[in-house]
Amino acid sequence: MENVCILGAGSTNYGKLNESIIEIALSASVDAIESAGISPSDIKAGYISNVFGVADKQVHIAPVIMSNLGISHVPGLTIESACGSGSVMFREAFANIRAGFYDCVLALGVEKITHTGTTQSTTLFSYCSDFFYEGGNGASFPGLFASIARAYMTKYKADEEDLAHVAVKNHENGLLNPKAHVRKKITVEDVLNSPVVASPLKLYDCCPFSDGASALILCNEDFAKKSGKPYIQVIGSGRGGSPAAVQGRKDISTIPGTVIAANQAYQMAGISPKDVDFAEVHDCFTIAEIIDVEDLGFFKKGKAAREIRDGATSRKGKIPINPSGGLKSKGHPIGATGIGQIVEVFEQFSGQAGERTIKDAEIALTHNFGATGASAAVHIFKKVN
Amino acid sequence: MTNTNRSGVREKFIESARDSKILTKKCDDCSTIRIATVLYCENCHGSKYNLLEYPGIGYVNTFTIHTVPPEGFEDVDGYAWVVFTLDDVSIRASGFLPGIKKPADLPIGSKVKVNGFDEKHGLVLKKL
Repeated sequence: MENVCILGAGSTNYGKLNESIIEIALSASVDAIESAGISPSDIKAGYISNVFGVADKQVHIAPVIMSNLGISHVPGLTIESACGSGSVMFREAFANIRAGFYDCVLALGVEKITHTGTTQSTTLFSYCSDFFYEGGNGASFPGLFASIARAYMTKYKADEEDLAHVAVKNHENGLLNPKAHVRKKITVEDVLNSPVVASPLKLYDCCPFSDGASALILCNEDFAKKSGKPYIQVIGSGRGGSPAAVQGRKDISTIPGTVIAANQAYQMAGISPKDVDFAEVHDCFTIAEIIDVEDLGFFKKGKAAREIRDGATSRKGKIPINPSGGLKSKGHPIGATGIGQIVEVFEQFSGQAGERTIKDAEIALTHNFGATGASAAVHIFKKVN
Repeated sequence: MTNTNRSGVREKFIESARDSKILTKKCDDCSTIRIATVLYCENCHGSKYNLLEYPGIGYVNTFTIHTVPPEGFEDVDGYAWVVFTLDDVSIRASGFLPGIKKPADLPIGSKVKVNGFDEKHGLVLKKL
């Protein structure tokens, strides 16, 4: 088994972008290639995550990317797992390096959706649900997470102000991220007074629809060492699944796939949650972050809301969560999000995170899922000095 | 009657909903009951089953009311998307409940009943 490293990372801004999906994807790819100090000819395979390419008139994206990088003979694979596409794709890239099939690959996530408008985007996202039981019965994605929020709030006596604190913290972090989609300081009152989207979730409980791309160069440790460039190591990887429909879950206040993926990743890394110095988690809605940090083992079930209010997840707290601003502020180009989280870890560990740097961090975790957690992935990274 | 037929199960589920019932499967091997559209038993992974219909009456576990509905639901004047548990068996289902405009209209635990299946809005519920 090979040790898997990340040698380079690149990302576009997240937000409303004018370029085509391919131009966005190539921009992040070139940034990652230059960051790693390699040539496209070093890339032995391309892994590309995307969900709604059809909305920009391009599916089968992988060979188009390979061709435009001048390496059309290199095999490409396009992977879709809704909002978890990036991390699910990363796992496949990781596995192929680890198994020794390739020594260096490109892992690229991309999405282009904002041009379709809110109604069309809301509808397209609803196709990521178990449509027969959810989208087809009138549930939007905010609606699905709103129903999860109500179940959690009922069980653990949490309230809408608890949710608001997640948004305020992530917007504060996003202010320090020059590539974030929504760089705006907000207050608890702003969140509580924002329009209801699907009760109990309000506008500021929801991440934005975003365009954007993020890319990584993965390689084995021999390749990384020979490059002479700084790199970080992937020390844990886990995948889990949950019933696709919320109705299929015994407990609606937890996401089983997260728990399964986290346990696998912790076991592979040989660490426990208390060893993690910071995490990028899937905060598509504020309730998701509260559930995530419990399912990942940072807090006991039902206790995260209090801890978040007390600052435990702020940049200087005991377990900083989403220093990038998270999906909530940095944005959520769904095919790219899982890779964007790892770009943040690379930047944190390579001195490129500026004011949002988590001091003395050496172990980081990323967590990303598709739909309401039906496809989940957790990865753990170690700084290499 | 034991059945292994896997085609047309959604249509059968819809037929039951039109009759205000929820269609389930009872595993021949371990007796675990699951929603009918799941092909294999979630407990023992057996494939043989008996179809069982239960009255579509249950209580609300959670719900939401959309202010920004998806396409096809914009014309509804207030509705809830509801997850509920059947009274007669520990099975959850979900559906579209029209006429709900604010959370106070539907306290957790409220009784609901399957009231048909609509081509446009899916499994339709009625508050009891």
